[in-house]
Amino acid sequence: MAAKLRAPGFYRAGIMMLGGVALATGLTWLVRMTTGHATYSHYLSGDAILSVSLLAVPLAFLIGIGGFDYWFYWAAGRPTRPEDHSGHGAYSWKDYFRVNTDHKVIGVQYTVSSFFFLLVGGLIAMLMRAQLAQPGSHFVDANTFNGLFSVHASLLIFLFIIPVFAGLANFVLPLMIGAPDMAFPRLNALSFWLLPVAGALMLGSFFAPGGAFADGWTAYAPLSDNAPIGQTFFSVAVQFAGASSIMTALNFLVTIITMRAPGMSFFRMPLLVWANFATSLLVVIATPFIAASQFFVLLDRALGFNFFNAAHGGDVLMYQHVFWFYSHPAVYIMMLPGFGIISEIIAVKARKPIFGYRMMAFSLLAIVALGFTVWAHHMFTSGMAAWIRIPMAITTAIIAVPTGIKIFSWLATLWRGVLHLDTPMLFALGFLTTFTLGGISGVMLAMVPFDIHVSATYFIVAHIHYVLFGGSLMTIFAGVYYWFPKMTGRMYDERLGKWHFWATFIFVNLTFGPMHILGLQGMPRRVSTYAAKFTDLNLFISLASFGLGLSTLVFFYNIVTSWRGGPRAIPNPWRGMTLEWQVSSPPPIFNFDRVPTVVGGPYEYGVPGAVHGIFAPAPAPAAAGAAASVVRAPSQ
Amino acid sequence: MEAASISHAAVHDGHDHHGPPAANRSSRVEPELLGMLLFIISEIMVFGAFFTAYFFIRIAQGNPWPAPGTSLPVQVAGVNTAILISSSFTIHWAQTSIKNGNRFGLKAGMLTTFLLGCSFLFIQINEYANIGFAPQDAAQQTIFYSLTGLHGAHVFIGLLLLLFVTIRAFRGHYTPEEHRGVEVPGIYWHFVDIMWIIVYTTVYVL
Repeated sequence: MAAKLRAPGFYRAGIMMLGGVALATGLTWLVRMTTGHATYSHYLSGDAILSVSLLAVPLAFLIGIGGFDYWFYWAAGRPTRPEDHSGHGAYSWKDYFRVNTDHKVIGVQYTVSSFFFLLVGGLIAMLMRAQLAQPGSHFVDANTFNGLFSVHASLLIFLFIIPVFAGLANFVLPLMIGAPDMAFPRLNALSFWLLPVAGALMLGSFFAPGGAFADGWTAYAPLSDNAPIGQTFFSVAVQFAGASSIMTALNFLVTIITMRAPGMSFFRMPLLVWANFATSLLVVIATPFIAASQFFVLLDRALGFNFFNAAHGGDVLMYQHVFWFYSHPAVYIMMLPGFGIISEIIAVKARKPIFGYRMMAFSLLAIVALGFTVWAHHMFTSGMAAWIRIPMAITTAIIAVPTGIKIFSWLATLWRGVLHLDTPMLFALGFLTTFTLGGISGVMLAMVPFDIHVSATYFIVAHIHYVLFGGSLMTIFAGVYYWFPKMTGRMYDERLGKWHFWATFIFVNLTFGPMHILGLQGMPRRVSTYAAKFTDLNLFISLASFGLGLSTLVFFYNIVTSWRGGPRAIPNPWRGMTLEWQVSSPPPIFNFDRVPTVVGGPYEYGVPGAVHGIFAPAPAPAAAGAAASVVRAPSQ
Repeated sequence: MEAASISHAAVHDGHDHHGPPAANRSSRVEPELLGMLLFIISEIMVFGAFFTAYFFIRIAQGNPWPAPGTSLPVQVAGVNTAILISSSFTIHWAQTSIKNGNRFGLKAGMLTTFLLGCSFLFIQINEYANIGFAPQDAAQQTIFYSLTGLHGAHVFIGLLLLLFVTIRAFRGHYTPEEHRGVEVPGIYWHFVDIMWIIVYTTVYVL
């Protein structure tokens, strides 16, 4: 038992977490006693202990689970155990609950836990739609409703869309560039374990006194300064989720820059790699801003600072500027990896080279640069200086240009292609449709007068769900189906996949389409009831949303049963050229026996004799005959 | 994950690997160096957000600076600035020494840098204790404590890194060929120094 408590794992994590609570108690008691501050009437305060615990307990958990072990050895100058790769691979399902440095295991950990949060966030949405099915209903009370939509948005943004892309890329990206692993495997492992921590904090806020954080995922100050303690759960959870994003992005950038296979120049990289390169740049530059915005709120709440206290010279608009300087680039963080997934799928499934490869890459970089110039279009009605609206409206309209370049390039890739309309391709085509609709309503919102008219109405809800559900989630489904054979070694059920697609596509439009009309008619968002004239459409939306929820169950059923007992997948079921398809399904424990050499572009489908990567002959002459294999472009 | 375990068994039967093939090095930049530079970009953006707060509170709001009835110890902080800047030179001395195989220079340089950093932090804390206002008083005080405190936290992190390097230096680590462990924390320390010059200029001098 003592050995179990000393070894990294859940037992040690449990002990450490108890220690974290004790530390938080002791620390707050000590500080309160020594400062003797006039406002500190008691040395022991529940709120203070809870606030400090929210930081201390997750850190204690991470130490206990073993996320920092190596660095502790390094810090003390003790001999570090060199990476012997004994942590690689997963031999049973239990290995997924340990700190593992294998990028493939981490990719699965990331993806599966993100989908868990999708399930929770989706169920919360169902509760909200149940409340909104009729005006004046009392399914939940108003404060709970506020908590529901806040947790719904925060979970799905910070713990589903952002990490699930990181998870898919974690699995696929090193394979695609011919690397045996990520550049910093231990950092990679740590970045994953921060996620369940952030998720537990957000969900845990429901049990906090005063209920969950209830001022939206935007948590505008000064409301968040004065909200019940549940708000602190959000602010701290964002720190952990943000740290996780930054670690992964840094890892991706270093991996892409320093670990590409010989011959893989930047313009021979698959577009998924380009997309993650662009996304990681956004994450590394922008994410510190949301961390800082929540620092401000935490300092205001816990220590009585005056960042947002107007009575003492604080500036509440500053919160919105700092928040949106991250959170607008964040919508591209939530979209660019999806662009990469769609580029892969459309080229493979249309059996054509991607149209305008270089423009696809450059448009990603253009979105990165322009993404930092549009943040205040979220603040047209905030009371900021009126003239700022004009440049922001213009840049917002301009950012639709690189996005349009991508849409048209995909359409041109489809043109006269030999389309294979299986599940990943259907989702890719569905994405093109719904995302374009969401993009168009985005350009509408760039227009200042129109934005003022529909600000804080269901039009905004419709727009964000068209781009995040109809956009991001469609690409995520497409990517999960596309790489499912590679990740699990099993084929999914194609028939169920198609059912899932059509149900999703139809119900997404039935759910979020009518919200445009509601918004134009002036129904405000983020309220638990509404005027009687909106009843019919709301009932319709609620019913459609339940259909949407059920369609997701088809997906989960398909994934679970296929993973357990689906037919075995061949290495390259889609006849793809990129490197991940040239190894077995699932890939061998170290990805490649020898690092491949890249000799051509990644999308030369239908080009006779085109080759992307070759596995060079082995240096040892004995093995040379058997090992030399040339990967040819699959012909039509 | 039955599927995965089966494939592992197959892989292990096939050949006797004890590690992955060495990754191809596609850039002349070292991964550790690049990682530190990217991390510093993130850190600069954290400071950027705090400077945004400073900008809004001091310039957009037009609050008087420093707050009426308070004064900032510009001279003391100036001496402190000199201390921190000099530590950038001593860590450079340590790095040059180990490159030339001078172990004494490495140890003395690291120890001096560490002690200079500690004195900076000590003077900063003393300044907090004697400055005569609290962050709870007004927004200017909030932003003063936040910017200097954020920087102080970075000095603390930098000092931890320096402490680890110093311990390892005294335990005989690092050689003229293998001294990346001194280089990479050194970059971070330089970043902390340069950031202090910006903080000092904007908060105290201007």
